[in-house]
Amino acid sequence: MNKLETALRDLSEMDTLASGSSCIHRLHPAAKLIATAAYILVVVSFHKYNLGGLLPMGLWPVVLFQLSGIPIRTCFYKLRIVLPLVMAVGLFNPFLDHTVLYTVGNIAVWGGVVSMITLMLKGVFCLMAAFLLAATTPIDVLCGALRMMHVPGMLVTLLLLTCRYAGILTEEASVMTQAYELRAPGQKGIHISAWGSFLGQLLLRSMDRAQELYDSMLLRGYHEHFHYAPIPRFRVKDALFLAFSGAFFALVRMLPVVQLLGSFAVQ
Amino acid sequence: MITCQQVSFSYEKDRPVLRDLSFTVHPGESVGLIGANGAGKSTLMKLILGLLPCMQGQILVDGSAVGKDTLKEVRRKLGYVLQNSDNQMFMPTVYEDMIFAPLNYMVSREETDRRVDAVLEKLGIGDLKSRHNHKLSGGEKRMAAIATILAMEPEALLMDEPTSALDPYNRRIVIRTIRDLPQTKLIASHDLDMILDTCDRVIVLSKGQIAADGPAGEILTDRRLLEENRLELPLCLAGRS
Amino acid sequence: MHMADALLAPQVAGCMYALSGTAACVSVWKLKKEDNPQKLPLMAVSAALVFAGQMINYTIPGTGSSGHICGGMLLSALLGPYAGFLSMIAVLAIQCLFFADGGLMALGANIWNMAFYGCFVGYFCFWRPFVRSRRFGQSDKNARICISAAALLGCIVTLQMGAFSVVLETTASGITDLPFKQFALLMQPIHLAIGLVEGLATAAVLNYVYSSRPELLMDVDPSSDSKARGSVRSTLVVLGVAVLVIGGGLSLAASSNPDGLEWALFGNEEDAGVKNMGLDEEDYGAKSPAADRAQSIQERTSVLPDYAFKDSDSAAGTVVSGIAGSLIVALAAVLICMAGGFFRKKKRLE
Repeated sequence: MNKLETALRDLSEMDTLASGSSCIHRLHPAAKLIATAAYILVVVSFHKYNLGGLLPMGLWPVVLFQLSGIPIRTCFYKLRIVLPLVMAVGLFNPFLDHTVLYTVGNIAVWGGVVSMITLMLKGVFCLMAAFLLAATTPIDVLCGALRMMHVPGMLVTLLLLTCRYAGILTEEASVMTQAYELRAPGQKGIHISAWGSFLGQLLLRSMDRAQELYDSMLLRGYHEHFHYAPIPRFRVKDALFLAFSGAFFALVRMLPVVQLLGSFAVQ
Repeated sequence: MITCQQVSFSYEKDRPVLRDLSFTVHPGESVGLIGANGAGKSTLMKLILGLLPCMQGQILVDGSAVGKDTLKEVRRKLGYVLQNSDNQMFMPTVYEDMIFAPLNYMVSREETDRRVDAVLEKLGIGDLKSRHNHKLSGGEKRMAAIATILAMEPEALLMDEPTSALDPYNRRIVIRTIRDLPQTKLIASHDLDMILDTCDRVIVLSKGQIAADGPAGEILTDRRLLEENRLELPLCLAGRS
Repeated sequence: MHMADALLAPQVAGCMYALSGTAACVSVWKLKKEDNPQKLPLMAVSAALVFAGQMINYTIPGTGSSGHICGGMLLSALLGPYAGFLSMIAVLAIQCLFFADGGLMALGANIWNMAFYGCFVGYFCFWRPFVRSRRFGQSDKNARICISAAALLGCIVTLQMGAFSVVLETTASGITDLPFKQFALLMQPIHLAIGLVEGLATAAVLNYVYSSRPELLMDVDPSSDSKARGSVRSTLVVLGVAVLVIGGGLSLAASSNPDGLEWALFGNEEDAGVKNMGLDEEDYGAKSPAADRAQSIQERTSVLPDYAFKDSDSAAGTVVSGIAGSLIVALAAVLICMAGGFFRKKKRLE
């Protein structure tokens, strides 16, 4: 299976997930967007040695995953894209940072090891939150939130139009790739003799498509404005969701939850 | 409704696509536009819509000549259903696509919503309203594309291959829908059975000129004329030989 | 080169959002002033094309690996810098949302690293000077050379700048303990290779477009040669700048005070229990059975034995550590892929 097909499958998977109807799906897109942004901000703001403090932050996405009925593993599959750079950066920490933070029995735990794990956890947590947002909010609804937050209309429209055509062109490119592969058995990727013409052909056809698209807009009276379905109203439950999330983030950020729980358990 | 007077057009010099074309489509008429590939059907459509400029002659839509100053007025009266529905439906959902034209023409939100519901009910596709465009099947897409055009309440419909790439069942539905529409229609297609079902008059284009113009029953049964123009008898008339 | 959220401190991410946001606002403003309503659908379809096109694998002859086109350069050649920049934002936003490629908070930084350099630097420093140079209009062959040179140099330089920004942002965020220089040494050579391939692929596509529909490209006006402005001198200036940027970047990275990476591995050996083996640099020459044994262990265990660069010049050492860095990254990537396979298999079994 080539990259394009994987992408198409991913796109349709996200689509199916986003069209669900759980309580998380039905939250206001702006509330979800703000909460997710706050979550990522708080996660990233933890000190690199503060592994204990960071851990409880994982609960928020886990709970939301359960509530929205989206299997967590669909998200972990996406880690393959995010982790390499984080790994590349984090992997060096244990070699470079030998500050002894703790000693467990005879073994000294270096700061580098802790900071590496913290870094990776941050990567995983942020991904979970962003994935959750995308998996519970269709893109047009999300764009509604962006419009509400006064992102320039041109950018929002561009994003929506691009989304609409990304799927179509990916499918076209995928069909072209398959046709190529069928005539070039055993070849991996596109041979150098076709480097220009392969994507070039698709490019030329796409430009014709853009022209036709513009014609179709003109014929329906287009003049600089796109009209969308009205944005849903911000309700009490959306505010409650925001408040609870905010309170949880503040609690975990301010208090050493793990230590408190630990000492409580020991007693 | 639509009148062409000695219309000529060419993309490149000395290679005319349309030559000295004259005909009139009367209000309420359904006219089929047939001809081989490259005969100039799509070009003619684009000229009528003002997407391409006439080089010679002029085109009148409802009495006003198509030109820069009248474009807005002309286009408001004409609805163009593209062959590729994906290019026509660029908004995220069917509903948003349907409100695009009316809101651009300053129709109020309430009136627009009323129109949308009326059109969807008339075409029997109410369940498509909140669906995402990229998730529609081929047949649904075509019906939705027709719906987006009907929502702007045009006086005449121009259609480019409305039945291409549809399965027999969906094709039948689209044909029935087109036949029941009261508007003036100009339909370009290679699907001669569909033309026979939906049009009362047929214009045959050949090399940029009108090769024949007459009642559908006469032209579509004239085997010699059709074959001269690289066409064939509609299957339902061809019999089994 | 997509940055993840975890690699950025909130302040740095905010800064990058502000920078990219400003560039986006300027672009929106410029486009509004240009008032070309046809551009919006063109931008959207081009962005979608780049999105799909970046997933097409181009085989690099003679190797088993593959590369893809450079989106920023292609978009700015088709649409100009402002529209290209906005389109690139759309591409990055979709990659971020649907494919988790780069994080939400890191989006600002990613836009800056990939879209800003690719579109603005790529267009103003490479595409326009080359295509408007007098040489361009002289013959078809010259035009092709100009397009190829612009695409190739543009991709290489903008990718170098992007990679350098990744290093700067990460270091400024205090995420890694890897010294700045070493991190740069890791990133720049890898992205030099990537830039080369992306440049070639992009040049091929642009040349194809030029041969079939030249009017689609920015600043290329086949009908009027008189419009060809600019001169060879401006091209030379730009080339000079490019050389300076590349050369400067490389020399900055290559100027070595004892290598951090070497030190790192060395230090690691030390602390990991080979501590008493007398491997301090000062004691290096000491002959003793213990030292010999230690040295052989050191040689076997260390990726970069110390003497490998002791006598050769530091540039060679730089290359070695660059390769070593790449290998480590590759290894990490393979590990990730294996982990991915493991999860997939598990999923299937379930």
